Amino acid sequence: MRNVLRKVTDIVLGLLMLPMVSIMSLMAQTTTPPPQTFSATVYLDYRSFLSNAGPTTLKPASDTTAYLNDQFVFRRAYFTYENKINDDLKFRFRIDADNTANVTGVTLTGSPVSGVTLGKDDKLRPYLKHLYIEYANFLVPKMVLNAGMIETLTFKPAEERWGLRSVAKTLTDGYKDVTKKEIYASSADIGATLKYSFAKRFRVAAGYYNGAHYSHAENDQYKEVELQAQLSPIAGVSIVGYMDYERKLPIAALPAETKPRGLTYKVDAFFERIKNLVVAAEWFTYRNDLYQTDGEKYDVGGWSVFGRYAVKPDKLQLFARYDSYRPNSLDRDLDMSLAIVGFDWAPYHASWKLQPNVWFTNYENGVRYNAGATKNSDIVFNLTFFLSF
Amino acid sequence: MKKITVIALATLTLLAGLLLGAKMIQIKGSDTMVNLIQILAEEYMGKNPAIPIAVLGGGSGTGITGLINQICDIANSSREWKPKEIDQAWDKGVTPRSFVVAVDGLSIIVNEKNAVEQLTIAQVGALYRGEVKNWKAVGGASLAVSLYGRQSNSGTYVFMQEHVLGNKNYSTDMKEMNGNAQIVEGVLQDEGAVGYVGVGYLHDEKGRIRKGLKVLKISKEPNGAGYLPTDKAAVDSGAYPIARPLYMATNGKPKGDVARLLSWIVGPEGQAIVEREGFFTIGEGKYKAANDKNFK
Repeated sequence: MRNVLRKVTDIVLGLLMLPMVSIMSLMAQTTTPPPQTFSATVYLDYRSFLSNAGPTTLKPASDTTAYLNDQFVFRRAYFTYENKINDDLKFRFRIDADNTANVTGVTLTGSPVSGVTLGKDDKLRPYLKHLYIEYANFLVPKMVLNAGMIETLTFKPAEERWGLRSVAKTLTDGYKDVTKKEIYASSADIGATLKYSFAKRFRVAAGYYNGAHYSHAENDQYKEVELQAQLSPIAGVSIVGYMDYERKLPIAALPAETKPRGLTYKVDAFFERIKNLVVAAEWFTYRNDLYQTDGEKYDVGGWSVFGRYAVKPDKLQLFARYDSYRPNSLDRDLDMSLAIVGFDWAPYHASWKLQPNVWFTNYENGVRYNAGATKNSDIVFNLTFFLSF
Repeated sequence: MKKITVIALATLTLLAGLLLGAKMIQIKGSDTMVNLIQILAEEYMGKNPAIPIAVLGGGSGTGITGLINQICDIANSSREWKPKEIDQAWDKGVTPRSFVVAVDGLSIIVNEKNAVEQLTIAQVGALYRGEVKNWKAVGGASLAVSLYGRQSNSGTYVFMQEHVLGNKNYSTDMKEMNGNAQIVEGVLQDEGAVGYVGVGYLHDEKGRIRKGLKVLKISKEPNGAGYLPTDKAAVDSGAYPIARPLYMATNGKPKGDVARLLSWIVGPEGQAIVEREGFFTIGEGKYKAANDKNFK
């Protein structure tokens, strides 16, 4: 009973933040955006575990650190400047700040460079996320060029359909956070992409990047290539195929002639034929030649299905998602799952929202904490505050 | 008095509709069209009390986005849909059908103190690209040109850029106004001003060109005859070079109340109101044929 009372008190305290947020959002209301815009998007959680252990997906990087329980957790702040220079040319500059990428120093080793060590601390630090130009109708009509520190092709289609980045990243985007397994995927990198729409039914895109991703220094001479094709046979039904490729620096454990590489294959499917309903599925597999168990290569992968339904557009929508993770195809005991349910509510204006959501995780106990192969399940409640102005 | 009665009736109809739980037809988009469509909606609601209609502006881009996101039933636009918008709509299961409901003679206006009476379409383009900075260069007094236009989410902005500026950029000196009414106000107060507005914004309550405003004749060639956007024959024949169709788009073939409303707007009663409000009717030619096809 005391626990229940404590949680109710905590949630009430969280709700006390509402007036402050609503005043800020009312100040920000505008109907016609000017060509140059400066905007900010912020989200944070009030987080409370409904089970004892605390989900592995939300545990801090160091196991010795206390669980992030019953407290406000700052998640992200984006500050974006966009300049629509004309109908075809757009410039974007975005600073991001979060509590995970606190790089304070970079140490390069080897000549040529063969390793990078990043210094980190616990402070919230801003970093450069986007710095690019977008050139529409580049060379020919319906071709779009992006160049600079740009968005990659990897997650964008799924992210757009999920539309709830403040609640959770999509499967591939959040893979490392959930499983702690690096799949070398990122939402932004230095490079260029070309997109072309043959017709509404068929579109293609290609990207060429450093491969080191944003907030990281380039650590090898290899570049990453991404290819994407979207097929939409009928209105509201799309299938997006994607692959990327990058050579990796060899390691001493491999034969000298080995040329290791990382490869991702990904397929997204979207169904949007019913008004206010989005249903989507995401599948990917990643092969890195450096990932081996007893000399045998293994794949990393997973799949996800999600849906959201706008009961009242711009006011209230319900969402649900199920993810399945396989961080090692040779060891299925390591499989994990994550289910998320919740709703997205804009009580006064779409610029600020409350997004209460519950995460159910099921994971291998030994993955992060203890030896042994028992499965553990956790439940966590997040009251997510979303503000965009 | 008649207008007040119609508005009162429409308001009562709206409230009655809401109380009875009738589904409201949501219309959103072009600022050029918002007054016209509002008047059409009021007249229609007066005749059909059970069908509430809400009309909002915001610009063609806003209306098109609204239809793509399915938060409105009809998108008003003073330009055609862009390929990117059609792609976005397709992804979301939206297949737009556009109906021409009126034709607008886009008007080039100056302050009545400006001596210039006529410009070629090329001169208008040069003014808005910022290549001509003084009225003296186009036959006026020595006076700095002050440009008034719309924001980039406006269909009028896009139409002018494509058809008058030759797809080149507007001068960065142009004042980007929220709507047609703001452009008219700017031109009335600025002797060096030039602006572009829909023909529906030229007249006062008595149907005369607003005091203090001058509408320029526009010609295709330097020595060609100039025409006014208020000259229906010139617009219909294509002699007036800056005329454009105004569209209302639905998601797929219009059905039920939306179909009935659109049929009424493009029919004799709706078109009589279009003409009364200073726009041009769609006539019996290509626009009517395209509309008929889209209703099927």
